Amino acid sequence: MDQNQTPTSILHSLGEEIIRIITPVSICMFSVVILVTVLDTDSSISSSISTIATIAYTETASDSDWDKFKGAILNSLVFVAVVTLVTFLLVLLFYFRCTSFLKYYMGFSAFLVLGFMGGEIGVFLIQVSRFGIDCFSYLLLLFNFTIVGVLAIFMMKFPIFVTQSYMVVIGVLTAYWFTMLPEWTTWVLLVAMSLYDLAAVLLPGGPLRLLVELAISRDEDIPALVYEARPVISHGNHTIVQRRVWRDRERDSDGDRNRHVSLESQTGPQIDPESIGSSSSQNVGELSAPLIERVRVREHELEPENLALEGIGLGSSGAIKLGLGDFIFYSVLVGRAAMYDFMTVYACYLAIIAGLGITLALLALYQKALPALPVSVMLGVLFYVLTRVFLEEFIVQCSSNLLMF
Amino acid sequence: MTLGAGIGYVLLALGPSLALFVTLISTKPFLILILLSSTLVWLISLIVLSGFWKVFLPIKTTALWPYAILILTSVVFQEGLRLILWRGYKKMEDMLDAFADRVAKPRLYLTDKMQIALAGGLGHGVAHAVFFCLGLLTPSFGPATFYVDKCSYAPFFLISAIISLAFVTIHTFSMVIAFNGYAQGNKTDQLIVPAVHLIAGMLTLVNLASSGCVVGIPLLYVVALSTLAYCGKMVWRRLTETQIRLTPQNQ
Repeated sequence: MDQNQTPTSILHSLGEEIIRIITPVSICMFSVVILVTVLDTDSSISSSISTIATIAYTETASDSDWDKFKGAILNSLVFVAVVTLVTFLLVLLFYFRCTSFLKYYMGFSAFLVLGFMGGEIGVFLIQVSRFGIDCFSYLLLLFNFTIVGVLAIFMMKFPIFVTQSYMVVIGVLTAYWFTMLPEWTTWVLLVAMSLYDLAAVLLPGGPLRLLVELAISRDEDIPALVYEARPVISHGNHTIVQRRVWRDRERDSDGDRNRHVSLESQTGPQIDPESIGSSSSQNVGELSAPLIERVRVREHELEPENLALEGIGLGSSGAIKLGLGDFIFYSVLVGRAAMYDFMTVYACYLAIIAGLGITLALLALYQKALPALPVSVMLGVLFYVLTRVFLEEFIVQCSSNLLMF
Repeated sequence: MTLGAGIGYVLLALGPSLALFVTLISTKPFLILILLSSTLVWLISLIVLSGFWKVFLPIKTTALWPYAILILTSVVFQEGLRLILWRGYKKMEDMLDAFADRVAKPRLYLTDKMQIALAGGLGHGVAHAVFFCLGLLTPSFGPATFYVDKCSYAPFFLISAIISLAFVTIHTFSMVIAFNGYAQGNKTDQLIVPAVHLIAGMLTLVNLASSGCVVGIPLLYVVALSTLAYCGKMVWRRLTETQIRLTPQNQ
């Protein structure tokens, strides 16, 4: 070892991109869990939620399990059908180059989420914490917050930290509203959405795949709500090729796919809570921008034998993008788990992070747009069921006797 | 249990791990990934064990032997898993060394390898604290607290946090000892780790007796502190002999 200067080992910088995407996902999940536990109003509010997701069947506490399950499946089918229709509509609009319409629409829905959903959740929080504020100041603050958010996401070049924070906030707000759906519907909906995502991205006729190919062929960006992690700048010795990167098909090929559920034409901003509940939940779908992860690459020598290591995503440099829909559905899963018990929260959190890691590894291996929902959601649901059925009793038995290992 | 008391219990169980995390692990993203993976592996082992024991629970008798068998099987399973973790770590070490060669950076130092082992052990410890202690603690905020009959000196949550702290220490440092033992082929190290784990597990059986925790918990801390001391001695020995062995022209 050199006495004067020990060169930094690889351990200092390896895996940084993965951490940069795991951190905001964790923050989003953590915030939703906190909101769910603090607000804890699932009985009183959920009865007034009438959304696309409960249009087929409204769950009541007195139904039997089998009825609830059937109703949940109906609800999810309706939801997935609506999402598919709207995504095809989006593909059509993109094909006819109405991108500015889409961008303004995105800005409008961000405004609705931040303004109305955020405002309502803010009111709940004020009620719970008995914070003294009058409604004019509150409206002023809310309005400013919302406008800055819309600008940060769409119109101007803001510092990336502000944009990222607003993305996470939109994710948290939307996910919180989703957790107000009835229980069986939520779980079946999660599974249905991950299956839909799998189909839409990988099947040749899937809307998201069409969208990706359109975007690639025109070399354009799809207007979408996508979280972009800050790219990693390699420190240290710049003369040596530090990182092997692989070459993607196109220079800037965007794997971004959007899932827009632009359903409502009648969304006028209405103030009473019920219609806010319904109209804004209809909007919610379009914020569920999808799972697209893409690694933007610089061209460098490509050595096939490196692929084994690159295969676990360690060798890349570039920004990883994750669609906001992923944030939302992961947080919905964890939020629902929080409504049962905290042990399920920890288990589901670990499962989702593991799924995300696996998806990133697959992304590095296959080097094309991949759905990020299926692996994580399936693992999350599996771990939730296993924890609830097996783990809890075991742990309680051991712990209450002060028996640990 | 008030919010202040609850936060106190959480920090009691997880405070040292948080300190280790912030100083050592948060600066190196790879170690964070190792920590998350080892937490996941521990969780999976717990789920498998609970699946296996589902048919036998709840244990109705107050006799000692069902609990002893439970702990024995759990410890044996987890130690077996540690061997599998070691194999996985070896493969990963080879890949990392190859990667380091390609990007013209130095191979993994000894301290790097020990840090990876530490992160792995910390993952195990954090998983233990989270599932055994925090899982029961976080839903219990609100008025009143809970006491266990057999150990009514302090609230249940406080006792479980104290026990978890001991186990976090044991898990964290025994991973370092174990990986070092496997790397050097040192039989003593390799055998000491399962032994310590088993002894610690069995010591908690003492808690089943009435007022047993007065005896059990201090003994548990003796075990934890001796693991810590042994690990420290071993690391010191390893580092000094590596320093002595290295001459300037060697790596």
